[in-house]
Amino acid sequence: MFSDLSAQREGSSLLCRPASEDQGPVFERTTIDYSPCTERYRLGERSFSRQYAHIYAARLMEMRPLLSERAKHKWGSDVLIKKLCDLETGEQCCIVGTLFKRMDLQPSILKEISEEHNLLPQPARTKYITEADELILEDELQRIKLEGKIDRDKCVTGSVIVIYGAEKNDGKFTVEDFCMADLPLQTPRPELGSDKFVLLASGLGLGSSKADSMLGLQLLVDMVTGQLGDTGEQSGAATISRVLLAGNLLSQSTQDKDASTKPKYLTKKTQAGSVEAMRLLDELLLQLVASVPVDVMPGECDPTNYTLPQQPLHKCMFPLSSAYPTLQLVSNPYSANIDGVRFLGTSGQNVCDIRRYSSMESHLEILEETLRLRHLAPTAPDTLGCYPFYQRDPFILEDCPHVYFSGNAPVFGSKLVKGWCAEFLRCLIICLILFYRFPASDRLFYFFYPYRHL
Amino acid sequence: MTTKRGLITDSFKVVKKSRRGAKQRKSPTPPPSQPEDVAPSAREEDLQQLKQFDLDWRFGPCTGISRLQRWERAKLHGLNPAEEIRELLLQTQLSLWLSYTVSLSLL
Repeated sequence: MFSDLSAQREGSSLLCRPASEDQGPVFERTTIDYSPCTERYRLGERSFSRQYAHIYAARLMEMRPLLSERAKHKWGSDVLIKKLCDLETGEQCCIVGTLFKRMDLQPSILKEISEEHNLLPQPARTKYITEADELILEDELQRIKLEGKIDRDKCVTGSVIVIYGAEKNDGKFTVEDFCMADLPLQTPRPELGSDKFVLLASGLGLGSSKADSMLGLQLLVDMVTGQLGDTGEQSGAATISRVLLAGNLLSQSTQDKDASTKPKYLTKKTQAGSVEAMRLLDELLLQLVASVPVDVMPGECDPTNYTLPQQPLHKCMFPLSSAYPTLQLVSNPYSANIDGVRFLGTSGQNVCDIRRYSSMESHLEILEETLRLRHLAPTAPDTLGCYPFYQRDPFILEDCPHVYFSGNAPVFGSKLVKGWCAEFLRCLIICLILFYRFPASDRLFYFFYPYRHL
Repeated sequence: MTTKRGLITDSFKVVKKSRRGAKQRKSPTPPPSQPEDVAPSAREEDLQQLKQFDLDWRFGPCTGISRLQRWERAKLHGLNPAEEIRELLLQTQLSLWLSYTVSLSLL
């Protein structure tokens, strides 16, 4: 984007003598309407004395009517939708329920601490799926094993789907077809007059042992604040109306576990690695917030709670930059309305977790799958830490976002996804890469998509 | 030796016999129960209704949250829980509060 803009001009203004009379052209940053949707993912008083059964019950309660409607649409309005307790052998019907995948390799704390097995803790693997996995569908009262035309390796525990088929004599349900809730309805986006940009970045990785990560970050900050390049590029940078940092602002190395296991007398004088890293982050953000509104989402390696939804980083950690109203500290699944365009995204923990328990490899594919399932994090609370909600499941997508993103992916990817019910229902899904992994020269050509073209 | 049925105390012989002439320990006579017969049965009925509400599978798990919270959740998801349960729950709350304030005033 920026190289096109500067190539249009014939002579670069950087090579001319500086004009001594005036400062040069002043560019105003485009301002946009912004309204965050904060209440959904904020936790008030936290009580961990509840069981997780409530969140599954609430999930099923909420998704049952949606899935019944989808089933009627797909297989005819006269199709029978039954509960497992009313099921009869050989009868063709639909069942709505939550999937459970029984995996042998799934890490189980009970197996680890059980003395009779005498097992050492299982080493971390990339994938926990095997050939011997079984899919089971559960509704409010019963569960049944599944077989047939359902891709067992792709499915994950916690997804609510509707299956069509019949129960055979052996007590297993033979699936002929199944379907998911698919994209919810979308409020139409207003038409935008000119190109406006939002910068999405993730995985800044501050505080790591590698020294060269600061050069790339500084280049990025300079470019966004308009201090880099000639007037063409500066006018381009002025169209960036917002910056969104999607998690992993600190590097993994700040989370070293040695400090917690060493005895106190050895670690008394040493400071935690994250303290210095947060100071660096604050200084970096100070440069950014002075010029552009910034939304900061916490990620896996950041100092906030571990369970989803991760609460916003506390502003006491940002003494310099929190003085500016342009700094917005937001929660981990983050939803906002930026100039009428709905953004929704996470820092990538949900996608990484699904990747470990299914055969899907690409983050983009998994992200699309979560959109079709209409659920941000189906594996929560089974394998992904989650707060024990009881009243409703806040990870269910109520309305379709226009831009759906997830941070900290190994490769960049983007796709335009269309819904089933209406032509205009389109969503752009984006996987953001880890910033620190890539050399400084590549980082400037980031993802700039004029969302007018959605 | 464990017995298959019956109480475990049945497997042991009684070794102590009550002494003759020992002081008879009388339990205090229960107060006349007539006026209370009507009230507990109404309360028992209410309790029964609440227990049935707890065990109703349509509204999800009942442990870990209060009955009122569970009722609110059922209402939120459109499961049409009975209105009288809610009234009962609010009444019970109210009567507990009243008895608390009464006992405070007696102090």
